[in-house]
Amino acid sequence: MASYATRVKGDIERWAKAGLIDAATAEKLSFDVSQRHRGVSFGVVLATMAAALFAAAILLIVAANWEMIPRLVRVGLLFALMVFGYVGGAWLKLKGRDTLAESVWVLAATAFGASIALIGQMYHLSGDERQAVLVWGAGTALAAGALCSRYLTAGAALLAIVWLVMELGEGGDEVVRSSLGYLAGAAVLYLLSFWTRSRHARHLLLLSLSLVAALNFLDQENLIAPLILGAFGIALFGFDLLRPEAAQKFTGLGSTAAVHGLFAFLVAGGMVQLLHVDTDGFVLASIVIFAGIIAALLLSGHESRLLRWLAYAAFIVLLGMLYVVMLGSMLGTAGFFILGGIVLSALAWLIGRLERRFGTAEGAKR
Amino acid sequence: MNRRWLIPVAILVALVQIAFLSWTILGRAQILREGREIVLSVEPVDPRDLLRGDYVILSYNISRVPVSLFANTPALPENDSVERTVFIRLKEGGDGIWQPLAASVDAPAAAALSDAEVDIRGTAYFARWESDAVRVTYGIERFYVPEGEGRQIERDLRTRSFRMKVAISSNGTAQIKSLHDGETMLYEEPVY
Repeated sequence: MASYATRVKGDIERWAKAGLIDAATAEKLSFDVSQRHRGVSFGVVLATMAAALFAAAILLIVAANWEMIPRLVRVGLLFALMVFGYVGGAWLKLKGRDTLAESVWVLAATAFGASIALIGQMYHLSGDERQAVLVWGAGTALAAGALCSRYLTAGAALLAIVWLVMELGEGGDEVVRSSLGYLAGAAVLYLLSFWTRSRHARHLLLLSLSLVAALNFLDQENLIAPLILGAFGIALFGFDLLRPEAAQKFTGLGSTAAVHGLFAFLVAGGMVQLLHVDTDGFVLASIVIFAGIIAALLLSGHESRLLRWLAYAAFIVLLGMLYVVMLGSMLGTAGFFILGGIVLSALAWLIGRLERRFGTAEGAKR
Repeated sequence: MNRRWLIPVAILVALVQIAFLSWTILGRAQILREGREIVLSVEPVDPRDLLRGDYVILSYNISRVPVSLFANTPALPENDSVERTVFIRLKEGGDGIWQPLAASVDAPAAAALSDAEVDIRGTAYFARWESDAVRVTYGIERFYVPEGEGRQIERDLRTRSFRMKVAISSNGTAQIKSLHDGETMLYEEPVY
């Protein structure tokens, strides 16, 4: 935000100097920018961090099973914290203290989770942590929807991801079924995030798709999971490229839908490479990934800095990987790099010419 | 959302969550008050995973049930295990410890339950590589202790055999009631 405001102000100054706008307009524009983009309030950031610390403390106090306080009193304290948290947050929201309200709601939702843990401890319940996390997540999602809370939506998404990791991590025999269950829950949360305007939740959920695919891939080492994920990534990227307005409306991700698409594509590509690490398929997969990175850069690179950085990082990682794995022999790998270099130089030359031509065409229009 | 409704909705959210939690507590308390009482012997557990955090992992004389007791068993995939709900029928043995009598998958055994018997519900892990006995958990395999007291209990468990009094609800749910070291009771679960 701050960097955007700074850049726009720089532009306004330049326009004023060039005489494109008068001084009064320049001042009005600068004022508007500084009103809309105030940047980060550190008070709010610190309040959020404080809430996170309190939340962790609540969970630890329960975990310590501290017998100084009778357990019914502990339950009562947690219940009181939930009431004060939810109602206090609502009161703060009405007062316009938006972020503070969200932080207090997170505390209340944490108290709910801590209560579940405490009851498990009181009655020595074993073997249902996954269910406990599921209940915690469902309760958090309910609160998020009812209170229209951004933070709680993201919290519910996080809990859903934790559930997935626990469910698949325990070597359960029904990986596909658990994954489908997770995807259904994630879809509900995704819809919920539009109602609560929680962009963070949407980012988390989209990133988690790569995790789902990776966990499925680790369980069944075949091409199914990477192919589905890769197709999804390409589809998301293409949707954002061809119908940017519709994509913006359906995904609600701003300019990062293409980045998510590229990320999914890269994770999928990495899995295919792993699968074919000792065969000729590795070269093919590498060529496809290289092509994907270059295509993403050319098609959407000018739109988003994040996309450029992701593409550069992936490019470097891929180079390193090829260097380590070796395509048959050192000479073979060197040959592949030389070929790739020639292709990229040719592309660079072609694009340079195109850009110049478009540049002169644009200039001629004016 | 209409701003007027925010506070009432917040109260409602808190009440719904608290009601759910209270319902769980009351359900457990009811098992403790009204459940059928049985006694199991606590078996020494592999000390490596005995203590994780602040609970002790327990194993019982009914934690491994012979396959021969099962009236029905699920079909097993080639290289995988299957997790199923099972009901184990228990009867008091001569030493006061309850022992498995019969077992069945998904629903309690068809034969009528006599007064001296009880059905306990558990989760069984059927696997091809374990052909003679099935591992069953009942949700009572964990014993929470105050922070730092786990090691002592772990040491004692390895030297002597302990007994656990367990309450069973009418649908077979088990709930830890009290832990006994020979004749002395070490710990009793308060109802609330």
